[in-house]
Amino acid sequence: MHDQVITTATVADPKSKYGDAKASTRHFVTQRVTGAINILFILFLVFIVASLAGRGREEMVATLGNFWIGIPFAVLLAIVTIHMRNGMRDTLEDYVAGGTYRLAMALNTLFSAAIALVGVVSILKLVFWG
Amino acid sequence: MSVRSRPLSPHLQIYRWTITMTMSIAHRATGLGLYAGTVLLVVWLGAAAIGQDALDLVNLVYGSWFGQLVLFGYTWALFHHMMGGLRHFVWDFAVMMEPGQRESLAWASIVISVVLTLLVWTAFVWVG
Repeated sequence: MHDQVITTATVADPKSKYGDAKASTRHFVTQRVTGAINILFILFLVFIVASLAGRGREEMVATLGNFWIGIPFAVLLAIVTIHMRNGMRDTLEDYVAGGTYRLAMALNTLFSAAIALVGVVSILKLVFWG
Repeated sequence: MSVRSRPLSPHLQIYRWTITMTMSIAHRATGLGLYAGTVLLVVWLGAAAIGQDALDLVNLVYGSWFGQLVLFGYTWALFHHMMGGLRHFVWDFAVMMEPGQRESLAWASIVISVVLTLLVWTAFVWVG
């Protein structure tokens, strides 16, 4: 927990708990599982950007609008936002604490959710409405 | 009673910038870069969803020399962060942590990320 003040007495006490064990383990596992899935995202991203960079809407709809390309890509992009929120949390925990941490985490969640929302909605638009 | 000064930790005179430290910092830096860089991706996708005019504008900016420079950096950040992540997967099995091994792993991650970046840009941008 980011607010915990660790003194020599805390360290000396074998019963000391450092943060939320369950949440921290879940954070660790989530970061690794999403990280592994992100390798698949990179493959999709390289394929999509390489074939569509600089192209017009028609070609983007033809490729990204394909259900079997667009939908997996949207899902992978959503998973990326979980990984980036988690990763930013690690960074924030290292540098800020207390109210600043909570504010920064709220902004972090907001940003990640906004990226997921704009990305997924845009892809769904291309898939279902062209 | 004579007081002998306590030994000090070796400091600046033997300070050495290590490759493992550099790659650790690079992992965090590329992570933060990619975090911000997702904006570039969703702006492109959003523009495509909105219409041809918006897409033309995005293509103009991304296609400019500065846009291409940023995208080249983004490509490297993506591959470097991936290599850093794979390095952590290796370490999760508590192997490759000994002196020499961890330095090899660190050098491998930077070399492979640069090679992958150059391969992708050669295949899809400079030649393709």
